[in-house]
Amino acid sequence: MCQSCHVQAVSTYRTAGSRDTGDRGRGIWLTTHVPHAAHTVTLPRSLDEAVAALTAMPAAVPVAGGTDLMAGVNSGLLRPAALVGLGRISEIRGWQYQDGHALLGAGLTHARMGRPDFAALIPALAAAARAAGPPQIRNAGTLGGNVVTSGPTGDALPVLAALEATLVIVGPDGSREIPVSHLLAGVEMLRPGELVGFVRVPLLHAPQTFLKATGRTGPGRAIASVAVVLDPARRGVRCAVGAVAPMPLRPLDAEVWVASLIDWDGARGLAPEVRAAFGEYVAAACIPDPPAPEDGAHEPPPLPPAALHLRRTVAILARRALGRALA
Amino acid sequence: MTGTADGHGAATVPATAVGAVPGPPAPHGLGVSVPPLDSIAKTQGVFPYAADLWAEGLLWAAVLRSPHPHARIVSIDPSAAAAMPGVRTVVTHADVAGDAAHGRKVLDRPVFATDLVRHHGEPIAAVAANHPDTARLAATAIAVEYEVLDPVTDPEQAFSAEPLHPDGNLIRHIPLSYGDPSVVGDVIVEGVYRIGRQDPAPIGAEAGLAVPRPDGGVELYTASTDPHADRDLAAACYGLPPELVKVVVTGVPGAMGEREDAGMLLPLGLLALRTGHPVKLAATREESFLGHAHRHPTLLRYRHHADAEGTLLKVEAQILLDAGAYADTSADALAAAVSFACGPYVVPHAFIEGWAVRTNNPPSGHVRGEGALQVCAAYEGQMDKLAAKLGLDPAELRMRNVMATGDLLPTGQTVTCPAPVADLLTAVRDEPLPPLPGDDADESEWLLPGGPDGAGDPRAVRRGVGYGLGMVHMLGAEGTDEVSTATVKVQGSVATVVCAAVETGQGFSTLARQIVQETLGVEEVHIAPVDTDQPPAGPAARGRHTWVSGGAVERAAKMVRTQILQPLAHKFGMSTELLTIADGKITSYDGVLSTTVAEALEGKELWATAQCRPHPTEPLDDSGQGDAYVGLAFCAIRAVVDVDVELGAVRVVELTVAQDVGRALNPRQLRARIEAGVTQGIGAALSENLRTSRGIVRHPDLTGYALPTALDVPDIKIVKLIEERDVVAPFGAKAVSVVPVVTSPAAIASAVRAATARPVGRLPIRPQSAVVHDERR
Repeated sequence: MCQSCHVQAVSTYRTAGSRDTGDRGRGIWLTTHVPHAAHTVTLPRSLDEAVAALTAMPAAVPVAGGTDLMAGVNSGLLRPAALVGLGRISEIRGWQYQDGHALLGAGLTHARMGRPDFAALIPALAAAARAAGPPQIRNAGTLGGNVVTSGPTGDALPVLAALEATLVIVGPDGSREIPVSHLLAGVEMLRPGELVGFVRVPLLHAPQTFLKATGRTGPGRAIASVAVVLDPARRGVRCAVGAVAPMPLRPLDAEVWVASLIDWDGARGLAPEVRAAFGEYVAAACIPDPPAPEDGAHEPPPLPPAALHLRRTVAILARRALGRALA
Repeated sequence: MTGTADGHGAATVPATAVGAVPGPPAPHGLGVSVPPLDSIAKTQGVFPYAADLWAEGLLWAAVLRSPHPHARIVSIDPSAAAAMPGVRTVVTHADVAGDAAHGRKVLDRPVFATDLVRHHGEPIAAVAANHPDTARLAATAIAVEYEVLDPVTDPEQAFSAEPLHPDGNLIRHIPLSYGDPSVVGDVIVEGVYRIGRQDPAPIGAEAGLAVPRPDGGVELYTASTDPHADRDLAAACYGLPPELVKVVVTGVPGAMGEREDAGMLLPLGLLALRTGHPVKLAATREESFLGHAHRHPTLLRYRHHADAEGTLLKVEAQILLDAGAYADTSADALAAAVSFACGPYVVPHAFIEGWAVRTNNPPSGHVRGEGALQVCAAYEGQMDKLAAKLGLDPAELRMRNVMATGDLLPTGQTVTCPAPVADLLTAVRDEPLPPLPGDDADESEWLLPGGPDGAGDPRAVRRGVGYGLGMVHMLGAEGTDEVSTATVKVQGSVATVVCAAVETGQGFSTLARQIVQETLGVEEVHIAPVDTDQPPAGPAARGRHTWVSGGAVERAAKMVRTQILQPLAHKFGMSTELLTIADGKITSYDGVLSTTVAEALEGKELWATAQCRPHPTEPLDDSGQGDAYVGLAFCAIRAVVDVDVELGAVRVVELTVAQDVGRALNPRQLRARIEAGVTQGIGAALSENLRTSRGIVRHPDLTGYALPTALDVPDIKIVKLIEERDVVAPFGAKAVSVVPVVTSPAAIASAVRAATARPVGRLPIRPQSAVVHDERR
């Protein structure tokens, strides 16, 4: 303990026992971010108010769970001039049904999506939400945040890609809908003042799976992930592979091929060889061989061992995901 | 230095009994699970660490670090940074008043890079400003012109590369030669092993506060684990006599050996001396990963010779340690690697050649089990190969070769301490295996590799059982002067211990309380906070403090005891041996005398100071021979793993531990230390590797650097603690924390080998190394 009376320990967490005196200036020293931190934090209660706040302050940054944004702020990489907190907008924290679709609020947390009632609706999204990280992250992180951050390892993204979800974007000029893949691929961007309000997901009433490979048994960042959804009404299988590219990849040929082999009116099962071939098909589509040299004189260079292992991992995940969906 | 604590400072241990339980007397004395006093404050989040320090008018520091692993510095222009509002000063190598070079063993590391940067993250300049963000912005505004050079990142290239440092690229070379080189075995197995770069990843990043003193000196408040060494480094760097620099130890948020990054601590004092203001720095996780020392990445090549029965005849090995850019403690790590290269096995002929070389990779240094962990993974891999080749059970092959007291190490040193390796192996081998979920078992209860709700498929999972036998040395080696000094004071019914041994979470303060309780019969024992005004106690590493500082506390307490008892003995005409002290009461053998310690003191305050200095060691000679170690500790671990052989995912199902502990002074604390050590070993085995790409650290964050979580750590069954007292150690107790760290990665790799029949020569185990390729594909 410091014998020098001019140095004292202070906990940044104020506790009952700690002195909270009116000593001027101390508060500034205690919090590391005050002079540069956001001067304005707005907490709108509806989407309209949030859009109005963003329009009024173009430099403001919307924040929901903050699991990505605040990491940047805490490490000094981001200094938003103002924040618009989305946590109090109750209309985006639940979901509603709309002509065969579920309209999911962008503020749904991973913890909420992981619960059994949600899992009964959209099983793959629930599985992705349960795998999305430790409980602290799942309690805070939101569906909309996962979409807008568009991280390559965002666990909800391959599921949304496989479901061909659309985003309901609200902005100063009203709302518009875009396919989720357009935002993830950068084909369409959010314009100033716009927010992702809802995610429209078809209710397929059929098995769906999401599988993910990580570096440890505990929650971790995906090395590769695969979502498989069955669409019996359209007699389709849709698959998306996450984490191996900047955005989820759809192996369309493999989907069409495997859907053609399924007896949709019967027992739907497929032979193990077919499931394995589907896995290989998906993996080869997502992690292709390097192109052959143009002169045609040489064999194409082999994939490096790490890429081969990744391809193998994708193949096994896709095989197992399909197997579980058809089981 | 008053010895009493007043409850508001940066305590190593709150001196007031925060955790005191009302009612019956709390457990006390040796051999009892006395709870630590600081645990409640720590779990409530009110225990103060260095990052919580504050001083009137303090400034914030930031360090500019090199973005290149190898570059020539053409120019440094701090003018833009210095001109920023709020910036008070900028320091570079030109502002270092004293010695420009520092280091743990060898003074080869500049405080700030002068003309060359030798690793990614090397400090180049530091800034003090009135706000941490201003300081960070100003640090990035310092204009440094680099001429980028090709980094040397492959340690095998270091021998032929241009010298990276005036001292050359070879830090140490030990060609150990023991026995007859012409011996050839009936069976020969060879293997190559690569061990990754584990980071100590302390849960609290580095932080410190430097306060200038009116006499021209400076005080450094930081979580140092070796305060006197840090003081001497700092004094030399500032060009001050050591008495003008004081290091005050704050709460330590996790330590695995030397904790604080001198590259951060030294600039802090420079800034404080220059500005005349207190200066604080709290490192980000990225700075922490870049700045402090890591475990040595190691390349090992082995050849084991055995006879047809599996008895080891000869071991040949080459061990190459990647030391990073600076020497640090690499020479010690290499000595441990070479000395323990054959493991706790009897090997009549050994030829081990070891090198520690300089590269432009992140710096390596003391992380617990350095050297010993790397070779353990390799020699146990060799034992598995030998067992497979001979068709023997791996445990049986090990049993045929285990070492016992009286056997020789390849260094020619006789193992004089208890070495119950055979008993340890028997204990883990004979423990029943965990049940395998069968067809009738509920598979939903089975936690598969890949985690709950994960990708694991029971049909692809194979179970493996493997063994690891590990050994480490305790205390410093090779002639290091190991000494600690402690003072014990008693007044009324309260005793105080003053010892500069830092409580890093290893439990020394609890142990010191127990020793004084046992010796003086006083229940209330305060442990004074540590600073460098106290005599040195050395680093908190290799279980030193249990031995040397615990020994010093015991001697001082016994001296106080004699001072208490002698007047009584004189008065009653009996010798002090006939008097006993227990529970605060002094009684004579015949019951005639019965008084309390407080009464016997008659209001006096008694002090005694004592030292503990174990018997000296000698450096290894030119052929790696010498009595270099004071004591050895042994451990046996059986690992049971499940491997998803398609994805290569590994889950450790169970680890069974038997350990040679000498004497369990605090059984609960001891078990906790073993569990913590095993957990660190799980990280080294499966996930922890600070990856680099051409010398650049790729993921300096805790998302990319995967520490074990609660789901990665299985049931750790401590089935046997062998309490065979080591006669030369105080209380006969051995250090317990390090040897499980060393042993568990080898055991896990052995189990993965058993499950997959793959060689598994690399740690951490990569998924592609644990995949079993199906021939049908």
